[in-house]
Amino acid sequence: MQLTLNSYRPFITKFQSLIALFILCLGISLMSDKFMTVANFWNVLRQISVNVCISTGMTLVVLTAGIDLSVGSVLALSGAITAGLLRNGIQLPSSNLYIGFTLLGATLAGLLTGSGLGWFNGWAITRFKLPPFVATLAMLTIARGLTMLWTEGFPITGLGDSFTFLGTGWFLGIPLPVWLSGIIVAIAVLVTNKTRLGRYIYAIGGSESAARLSGVNINKIKIAVYTIAGALAAVGGLLVTSRLDSAQPNAGTSYELDSIAAVVIGGTSLSGGRGSILGTVQGAIIIGVLNNGLVLLNVSPFWQQVVKGFVILLAVIIDKSNSKAD
Amino acid sequence: MPKNTLKYAILLVLLGVVAYNSVYFKKLDEVNATSGANAGSKFDAAAYANTFWTTKLLPAGASSATELSTLISSLKTDREKAFDTYSHALGIGNIRYFLVKGEGQITAIGDNDVTVALPDGESVNLATEYIFGNAARDASGLIKITEFDNTMDLNNVSTELNTIIRNKVIPLFKASTKTGSTVKFVGVIELNKAHLRLENLEVILISVELGAGSKGQGEKSLTSRIQSKHYAPGTRPYILC
Repeated sequence: MQLTLNSYRPFITKFQSLIALFILCLGISLMSDKFMTVANFWNVLRQISVNVCISTGMTLVVLTAGIDLSVGSVLALSGAITAGLLRNGIQLPSSNLYIGFTLLGATLAGLLTGSGLGWFNGWAITRFKLPPFVATLAMLTIARGLTMLWTEGFPITGLGDSFTFLGTGWFLGIPLPVWLSGIIVAIAVLVTNKTRLGRYIYAIGGSESAARLSGVNINKIKIAVYTIAGALAAVGGLLVTSRLDSAQPNAGTSYELDSIAAVVIGGTSLSGGRGSILGTVQGAIIIGVLNNGLVLLNVSPFWQQVVKGFVILLAVIIDKSNSKAD
Repeated sequence: MPKNTLKYAILLVLLGVVAYNSVYFKKLDEVNATSGANAGSKFDAAAYANTFWTTKLLPAGASSATELSTLISSLKTDREKAFDTYSHALGIGNIRYFLVKGEGQITAIGDNDVTVALPDGESVNLATEYIFGNAARDASGLIKITEFDNTMDLNNVSTELNTIIRNKVIPLFKASTKTGSTVKFVGVIELNKAHLRLENLEVILISVELGAGSKGQGEKSLTSRIQSKHYAPGTRPYILC
């Protein structure tokens, strides 16, 4: 039997992200002796944890043929709300009242903020039939503006050891952010593969009209998906704020692009209905390894952006060619 | 009891427990009183810088500054070790700061700096015009970032320390300096670990003592002039005695 390139095609298509990751790791480890070290391994995983959280939500959105450009700003606002409440509480001079927030309270407030903004995205998209690109672009600037207003343009620091433990601590020899993102991924995999919500998400992305005719409540599912994306962006915000012990007003800038890149590189189709959470995780790892490798190789930050842009472009081209082949 | 009622009752109890453990209430007066100057009041960078200057930086300069000749030779032999041993910085990155001391002879007086030849043949420039950056704040390693609510306050401390140097140290030094005179100084320097350049090292002065050959007054004259001009009896001078 003669084997041709075409006979390997299904295998290459199925494992394209892993193959790319392997080649990337091999290349960088040949060029830098600091890459294949235990410390750097945990460093990369810790760094990609935030992107994994955001990208998991983004995958759900993209699977419904949507997009969420606001995740970076939502991340910033959620982190700032948590930090602000934890640090300063709410002061009401007119009634001589100080409302203090415990770690639990401030964290919940941050998560509620993210979920609320995500819900608003979903509501605006379904209620007014706005293109997701436009609605979330508007939220991008709204949330960033609110972050600036809340922080008055200054970072909020000094959040305490118990809060920073979330972003810097270890549990059973593994960094806490890695645990957290791992749990989120596990739940998302279960939801997409084993639940009705997951099937509906794929159905909407595959053909919205067919899903509607099948009795799927499109609006409800879309609002749920954007709310989840907002909540996961808030988790990312908590991780970033906790790790830096500081809520930065410009945190999360361009995180939406890294997140979309992870989703696309992971094989999720931007036209919806096709892709997986685990693919996105692979995409996030590829982006993280690429970032780490370029830093270790002393590549200029300006060139890093160029390289990342080309990698995303390549991923989309491969995705298109796979779609045609299918 | 209907199933839904039970469900909502449990939900309500859970919400109550979460809310009880999430927020607490106090009188604003009490909070402001217990947190003292930090609550609601603006950070006074100038006051902080003045206190830091007199109680920490000058004593640290007198007691723990690294001899410049030692530092330069250490940087030439083992850069990593020299940076690890002698430098400080609040942030991560290659820019690091050193608290140094030295003495030598003034060989040139320029518009922006005064060149000093050290006994081992090296020469450094004492900055007299451009006093910027975070070297004065970070070189001693005595300021912790956790002391500040935000980075603006932290950066303002640098600005105020540079203002002290610019307004109180440099003018009298410039007025008394003369080519050929000897000088003993404590200062701070900034070095880039990745792109280390040891030629024309620029030192930002923290304190300085002019010796023989300075304009007219002779040994310790500058010190006594500054003390009489700027300081109440018993306060620490900007110039080492």
